[in-house]
Amino acid sequence: MAFDPDINYTAILPEICLAVTGLGVMLYDAFAKDNRRWAGPFVLGGLVVAAYSVWRWTTAAPGSSFNGMLVTDPMRTAFAFLFLFIAALSVLLAMPMFDNRSRNGGEYFALLTFGTVGMLLVGGAGDLAMLFLGIEILSLASYALAGFRRSDLRSNEASVKYFILGSFATGFLVYGMALVYGATRTTNLTTIRLVIQNGTLVSENLLLTGAALMLVGLCFKVAAAPFHFWAPDVYQGAPTPVTAFFASGPKAAAFVALLRVCGELFPVEAFELHRTWTLVLGAVAVFSMILGNVVAIVQDDVKRMLAYSSIAHAGYALLGVIIGDWKVTLFYLAGYAAITLGSFAVVAYVAGAEDNRTDIADYAGLGLQATGAAVALSVFLLALGGLPLTAGFMGKVVLFREVWQGNHAWLVVVAILNSAVSLYYYLRPVVIMFFEERPLSSDHCPELPWPLTTALSLTLAAVMYIGMFPEPLLAGLERTERSGQIATPTLRRLPGQ
Amino acid sequence: MMLSNVFFAAEPAQLFFGPIGLLSLVTWLPLVGGLIVLLFDKRRADLIKQFATVWMTVCFLVSLPLVVLWNYDVRGLQFMETADWIPAIGAKYQLGVDGLALTLVMLTTFLGPIVALCSWNYIEKRQKEYYALLLIMQSFMIGVFAAVDLFLFYVFFEVMLVPMYLLIGIWGGERRLYSAIKFFVYTLVGSLLMLVAVFKFYFTAAETVAKYPTEVKAAVEVIVGNNAPMRGLVLEGVELARRAGVAYAARAGGGSDDDAAPLGTFNIYALQAIGSARDAQGRALIPLSLQVWLFAGFALALAIKVPMVPFHTWLPDAHVEAPTAGSAILAGILLKIGTYGFVRFNFPMFPDASMHPTVASVMATLAIVGIVYGSMVALAQKDMKKTIAYSSVAHMGTTMLSLFAFNPNGINGAALQMLSHGVTSAALFILIGILYERRHTRLIADFGGVVNTMPAFSAMFMIATLASVGLPLLNGFVGEFIGLRGVFEANIVWAFWGTTGIILGAAYMLWLYERVFLGAVKNPKNADLPDLSAREWAYLTPLVAAMILFGVYPKPLVTFLNATTEVVVRQMRPNYFGSTTKAGEEQAAVSPATSDTAARD
Repeated sequence: MAFDPDINYTAILPEICLAVTGLGVMLYDAFAKDNRRWAGPFVLGGLVVAAYSVWRWTTAAPGSSFNGMLVTDPMRTAFAFLFLFIAALSVLLAMPMFDNRSRNGGEYFALLTFGTVGMLLVGGAGDLAMLFLGIEILSLASYALAGFRRSDLRSNEASVKYFILGSFATGFLVYGMALVYGATRTTNLTTIRLVIQNGTLVSENLLLTGAALMLVGLCFKVAAAPFHFWAPDVYQGAPTPVTAFFASGPKAAAFVALLRVCGELFPVEAFELHRTWTLVLGAVAVFSMILGNVVAIVQDDVKRMLAYSSIAHAGYALLGVIIGDWKVTLFYLAGYAAITLGSFAVVAYVAGAEDNRTDIADYAGLGLQATGAAVALSVFLLALGGLPLTAGFMGKVVLFREVWQGNHAWLVVVAILNSAVSLYYYLRPVVIMFFEERPLSSDHCPELPWPLTTALSLTLAAVMYIGMFPEPLLAGLERTERSGQIATPTLRRLPGQ
Repeated sequence: MMLSNVFFAAEPAQLFFGPIGLLSLVTWLPLVGGLIVLLFDKRRADLIKQFATVWMTVCFLVSLPLVVLWNYDVRGLQFMETADWIPAIGAKYQLGVDGLALTLVMLTTFLGPIVALCSWNYIEKRQKEYYALLLIMQSFMIGVFAAVDLFLFYVFFEVMLVPMYLLIGIWGGERRLYSAIKFFVYTLVGSLLMLVAVFKFYFTAAETVAKYPTEVKAAVEVIVGNNAPMRGLVLEGVELARRAGVAYAARAGGGSDDDAAPLGTFNIYALQAIGSARDAQGRALIPLSLQVWLFAGFALALAIKVPMVPFHTWLPDAHVEAPTAGSAILAGILLKIGTYGFVRFNFPMFPDASMHPTVASVMATLAIVGIVYGSMVALAQKDMKKTIAYSSVAHMGTTMLSLFAFNPNGINGAALQMLSHGVTSAALFILIGILYERRHTRLIADFGGVVNTMPAFSAMFMIATLASVGLPLLNGFVGEFIGLRGVFEANIVWAFWGTTGIILGAAYMLWLYERVFLGAVKNPKNADLPDLSAREWAYLTPLVAAMILFGVYPKPLVTFLNATTEVVVRQMRPNYFGSTTKAGEEQAAVSPATSDTAARD
């Protein structure tokens, strides 16, 4: 049998662009003399080119390439745009950190770019091997990023903690994949689905065990309880721009992985498996929401508070995975990413050059000193709490509506009650910023550097726009779905459906 | 007269400026002003004050055509506007006002310039943000009353909390932080629970109308009467819901998932029609047990807003700590959103649950407890603002009691009380604010004999006091009289307790007046208080004029409200007006002839 490598360069063009960009940044880093201030703009340029090559997918017919390793479908396209958006904002957030004196900006942006390559590969994974590859590319870059402030003990601690726990989680993931392979005799996700639908599994228990282990690995990446223990420490210790990236990028990537895996391993047609799986995911979601929101109440550090809030939001977004609807999940995650990146932009600004002013008390009087940043942070926090006219509210409404329609009304009730709880801690910084009129020392509030201003305006505009006029985005998702009916083989339904 | 003829389709009033309707203009104009204020230089405080006040006045003038162009021959919504907003979930940008909403919109725009003007001296810091928030708040409040889409209503309803929260939290008194957070968390928890009920009802409505399309269409006729454009609007919503319901049924039956996503509707009147529709045996389409749950979800959010005992504890704190304008807006408009919501949502959407004896008596009991408890606590207060705050609890209790009489008199009376309390309590808070500006205290014990130094002010306060007490020929009387007569028709025990509110109200208000104004000047600091300035005259005169005008001649208000009231009563009690003739319906509201004998037909 002749071996056909099934190469399709269009399908990996964005990844190639970004890999080249990353290598270019490293070369620039090696040869630049005084400072590395062009590294950021260079990466932004690379991201724009990558975005253009993603844009070319929208007109192409969906399909798989590299012998099923990569799937180019509307879901991949949509998530790729989200990843590039997150990467671009992360670059903007990081640029002030490497000002004219800095000598090590290059490797930072290279790592960020490689991490983005990993995310893009996860988004298109059609095979467990590719999924693993993407997640590992992303994770290795993340471990290094977490420890980027080499002289800072907390940053080192975060990096080591993340690395050890992350490696452990990856071990679970690989072991789970091996068991799934054992149960289905394939690593291709579409084939796995066929095997399950046809009922030719080697062992159902083996599949469930494998899937459970994979779930552990992926839940670690999305920081869902009870696999969240790394998140608060790493979020707090890592440099703030990195935290912003962690809270949005890898989380979204892990959600794509979950959607890919759950959609194929546990199709609705496989009734019993689907029900078991839904129950497990529901438990994880509820636990994440409750734990995240309750523990966030007692946090005094903004970054820790946002870490617990991100655990809670992982719980909300898991509802989208439960009903297996990638569109609402993406819509929710897009809003969440914009909000998170925006709020960390303000956190990075307040944290200052030493990146250590992250206590909620440090925000006292910010409303008077830097009104723009304070207003923006208030909008973001209220959006996280789900107040109308923001992306947070729209995302929740659209998501909860689908979940309710999917006969999981009780999950919606739990989620809404959790939103009520969450507002309590989201309001605290707002209160301190505006109502406590302690005058600050003037050095506390320098001018907002232009990359942060750009990032803030972009995210603020996105949050408000999605919150008021969600229609263009929703319609865009709907359209990709309709034009891109991916060619899945029709199969007979299992009994019970 | 005007409601009797459903056969001649009359055109409801409309006014468009290009794509923007009059009602959109009225709703969004304050927000535009707020954004303009944000562009001003913050050091030019005088300019900001003047601009905000003039802009509020312009907004009021722009809202006047709503009344002038009103077509009295049409039932239901006028000045309707509709546009797609979020088709993915079926939410639309739909505005429109019926008689009740119109009067409340007018109340809001009327109070706008007054609260802006009364803040000129009171607010001494961060004027720019203050006036911007005041204007933004105004937009959201108008939006709450003008929204015809439940989703749009909900958005306004929740987002309105943010400016109010900031108004209390930044410009409030000593305990402003505590009060602001309490206010915010209280109201937000309620509205989130309401969101759950909205979701549930949204899906239930779709399923119901898919099963019983004809019954729902009959119910639509009750709502729209002769209003052809409104019929189109409501039927469109019903049709969207029906399609969604059919799609759900197909999906549940294992059908294909490939159809276009079902939309559903949030149109309030379509949902009302579905909730109030009855089958041939006169049973409601939505089962009672579910109705009770939905009623509870909505009622909790609204009862917190009203506020009803035992959810009232945020109100005294918020009122006392808020700046004068904040208290006036809270008492004048925000509390009305609660009672408005009962008339707009709970009664027509869940009629059987509302009328259920247990539910009704629980609500009435809470209202009565509110009346008696609120009045007693008002008697015991040392702070004038707190007295008025607790009197609001009592007055809103009377309003709720009147609503739960479920007859035209009760609901008309409640609506009139909403309007008159809006004017009177706002006036009282503003008057107390004037005293506070002069003396920087609100304690009753610090005053006495103010009438000697400030005669004009005392006269104004007297009129407001008497209006609050319910003296005939002032605005408070009409609503309380009609409302309590409605309660008498329904339940004489409730009426007895309701009337105690009036007696106690006279006691605490007149006693307050006596201690503050009458007698000799004991405290030397009160000896040389200046009387009203020209600016104070300017904003007190319209308030007092409104009290006298609508006390002497309440008919225009009754005309507006009656149309809404009649529809609500018809939705709840289809046989109330008898099934034979529609003549003499106008008298139903004001004559005792239609007592409960008619209901037994």
